[in-house]
Formats: sequence, C-alpha cells, structure tokens
Amino acid sequence: MASAERASATEPPAPLRQRVLSRVLADGLVILVILGWWAMAKSLPASILPTPAEVAEQLWLLFTDATYLGHTAASVVRVLLSVALALLIGGLLALLPAGVPWASDIVHRRIQPFLNSFPSIGWAILAVIWFQVSDFTAIFVQVAILIPFCLINISAGLKELDREAIEMGRSFTRSSLKVFLKLTLPLLLPYIVSALRIAYGVAWKIAIVSELFGTGTGIGYLMGEAQQSAKPALLYACCFAIVLIFFAGEKLVLDPLSRSVRR
Amino acid sequence: MEVRAAAPGVGAPGIGALAGIASRPALAAHLFTLIALGAWAFAATQVPPIALSGPWTTLKALWAFVTNPDQLAHMAYSLLHVGVAIVISFFAGSALAFLAHYVPVTALMIHGRISPFLNAFSGIGWSLLALLWMGATHLTVIFSISMVLIPFALVNMKEGLANLDRELIEMGRSFSRRGLRRFVKLTIPSLYPFMFATLRISFGVAWKVALTAELIGGGSGFGYLFDLARQDYRTPILFVVILLIIAFVYCTDRFGFEPVQRRLQRHYGLR
Repeated sequence: MASAERASATEPPAPLRQRVLSRVLADGLVILVILGWWAMAKSLPASILPTPAEVAEQLWLLFTDATYLGHTAASVVRVLLSVALALLIGGLLALLPAGVPWASDIVHRRIQPFLNSFPSIGWAILAVIWFQVSDFTAIFVQVAILIPFCLINISAGLKELDREAIEMGRSFTRSSLKVFLKLTLPLLLPYIVSALRIAYGVAWKIAIVSELFGTGTGIGYLMGEAQQSAKPALLYACCFAIVLIFFAGEKLVLDPLSRSVRR
Repeated sequence: MEVRAAAPGVGAPGIGALAGIASRPALAAHLFTLIALGAWAFAATQVPPIALSGPWTTLKALWAFVTNPDQLAHMAYSLLHVGVAIVISFFAGSALAFLAHYVPVTALMIHGRISPFLNAFSGIGWSLLALLWMGATHLTVIFSISMVLIPFALVNMKEGLANLDRELIEMGRSFSRRGLRRFVKLTIPSLYPFMFATLRISFGVAWKVALTAELIGGGSGFGYLFDLARQDYRTPILFVVILLIIAFVYCTDRFGFEPVQRRLQRHYGLR
C-alpha cells in the first residue's frame, strides 16, 4: 500500500496492532453503514429507503428466482459477449496501423477520438431508433461504448513493444504471422488483459445503460422497471447485484488471468 | 485510468503540424473524413429522416440550436453539471487518498472497502437512486456524476502518492520541520501530473455519464434535451447534441489537456 512507503517522523504503531486496528476500521465501517442504513430506513418511507433485509431478500431472488435469474443471466451473457467483441474489434483497429502504416491517422485521429467522445446514451437512443428494441441493440450499444477503451489500451501496448525482440524474431523467420503469434501477441498480453479489465468494468458501470432503453430483459431493464413501478427494494438489489457480479468476475477470472500473464 | 493516460502521443504542433498535412497518414485521414461524410449524406437519403439526420439537416439544426438562447442554456447546464461534479469528485477522491496515505490504519478501509465498492457501483444505479432520494434536480445530476468520478480520482491520486519521490521528501524534512510547509511546497507540486491526469480522465468519463444522469434525473442539460428529442422523434436535435459533445470533448482534450499534460510530463520527467 502507498502508506507503507511513507517515511513517518513519528514512531509507527506495532504492525500487529496496526493490522488489527485497520481491519476493525474497515469492517467496522461496513457494519456501521448497514446499521445506519437500517436506522434511517426505519424513519424514512419504504418508497425512498427500504430496509437492508428487504433489499437482501430481493437480491437473493435475483440469483434464485427463475424469472429474475433470467434477467441476471441475460445481462451477464450480454456483457461477456460485448466485451469479447469490443476486444476483437478494438484489437483489430489497433493492429491495423502496424500492417497499413498510412491508416494510423485514420485509426488514432479519426475513429478513436470519435468513438471516445461519443456519448453512451447517444448510442443507446440511436440504436433503438435504428434496430428497435432487441438483444442485438443492447449488444451493439455496449460494443460501441467499449471499443475505444480496448483500442486505446492495445494501441498503448503496441507502442511499448520491445522493438529489438521483434527485430530479432524477424531475423529468425520471414513469416510475419509466426512473429505475430510467437512474439507480438505474448508481449501484448498484459495490455490485452488490462483492456479486458477496463472493458469489463465500463460494461457494468456505464454500458449497462443499453438495457435501460434497448431491450426487454437484463438487470438494466429491471432497474428501469423497478423505478417506474415504485419497487425501490428491487432497484437497490439490482445495484448490489451488479456490484457482486463485478467482484465475482474480477476475483474469479480477471485477477487469476492477470497473475498468469505476469508470470 | 490507464485509458486516458494511455492516449497516443501526437506530433509537434505548429510547423510540424503543417508538414503533417502533406504526409500520407494525414492525407488518408482527411480522405477518410470526406468518405465518412459522403457515406453519411448518402445513407441519409436512403433511410427515413426519423432514423438518420443528414449532414445538411444537422447543420441547419445546429445553427438553429446555437442561435436559440433556451437551447444554449441547456448546454450551459450540462457544462455546469460536469464542471461542479469534476471539482467535487476531485476533492473527495483526493481527500480519501490523502487520508489513506497519512493515516495508514484507514488504508484498508479506503482502498479495500470504499474504493472497490464505488468502483463497482453502476452509473445508472446512482442516477436512479439519486432521483429517488432528491427528485429531478441539479443536485441529482451532480451527485450521480460525482459518485462515478470519485473512484477515478481516488485511484489516480493513490498512484501519485505511491510514486512520491521519498528522497525529495526526506530532503525537505532536513530543511523544514513544518509538515504543512513541506506538504504545500513539495508534496502538492510532485502530485501535479497525477492531479492533471485525474482531471483529464474525469472530464472524459463525466461526459459519458452526464447525459444519462440528466436524462434520468434532471430537468435540464443536454440529457434532458435528448429525452425530449427522443420522445418527439426530433432526430436532428439528437445529432446536434452528439456533434456538439464530440466537438467539445475532442477539442478540449486535443488543444487543452494534451499540450498541458505533455509539458507536465516533460517537466517531471514522466513518460
């Protein structure tokens, strides 16, 4: 942690004592927030703040009830598919200038800034006008939002590539494909994983907006429904479900992937 | 974070840029722009106007927009929402990062609990909850944008504090015993590149979430205009708003943030 590197003028506390205190503070905050929430929920109308128990019940249903589970699964599948597609398209766009040097400005000075500046809600509304409400619409919007994040990261990786290693590879073989598969791609892997991590995060944080407008299923759709039909417990549960799914993806897939790439 | 920081470098401005116009990639890019404009104009003749507003129609709508004070007021509101949210999130994120740095027992609480939670919370979630709590007000929009931006500021400032030059700080200690003086004269200037990067990232992300927040929880701003245009099928207004945002975000980043960041990176010896 950053704080560990600090050279303090005062005597630092004993490591064990600090660790315990640190843990107490961290977990204490979580307990305090839940207690504060519960106390506030008692004095506020349920339409504004439902109790933690009501939200927990809805959260449980999101992962166990067949109908709700369908919505949850739809969001997960869409996010995974969109991240994969965005990574593929963004990666191809990033690689294009390597093979076609005159296309570098097209990619980095036209396509990238355009996609990067395009408002996410703009994609969502235009896609509904163009393709109506459908799964394709939701995935299209998510992919459009995620592409620039993948493109920027993979382009950064290409810039940082070890030129000498690539040159050396070229002296061993004339096959560009072989150099790409055996050298370029492995060297790019940390950046690809980084792009994957960012795209995954942005998909759940921002791109889920596509489900609010573009489809009749998914957690984003449920959130809109919960808001319109005054079901605040469901709205809160959807928010926490996203947090849980996000963490699960990070801990179960992305972190191990990052570690294996670093090795 | 890395997303914006990793933005590709650009050629030198001025004479270099003039020379670049004649270069092959620049020429190809200009040609691409023309082809894209041509394709847009052609596509607009092939589909109903409700689906696609052509370049000429959009240009006329843009003129009507910029000459209408009511519409311009919405632009000003969006700028206000984004600006205030960036300031709030910058200070809130920085305060949390400083607290974790200078009071190490709070580090786990901040970087192990608050930051991951905020980082995982959905932007629409904040907008819908804020609407529930505060109704359709400016505060709702600013709150939603700020909550999305805080983790970006927190993570970036944490990086900055972790990269502080410890030898410089030690040397400062030998010159002055006043912690506040060292903080103001040494720590803060050392953090300038990270502060700037935080502002740059926040600016980019803010525009991605501001419209959604305004559409869901506000009665003003580009997002609100978007909602009206969507309901009345006024496609040209949608295109005008998108065009204005693209132009604004691109120009601010290209001609405002990028040169300053380059200068800061040169000055502080960063890449």
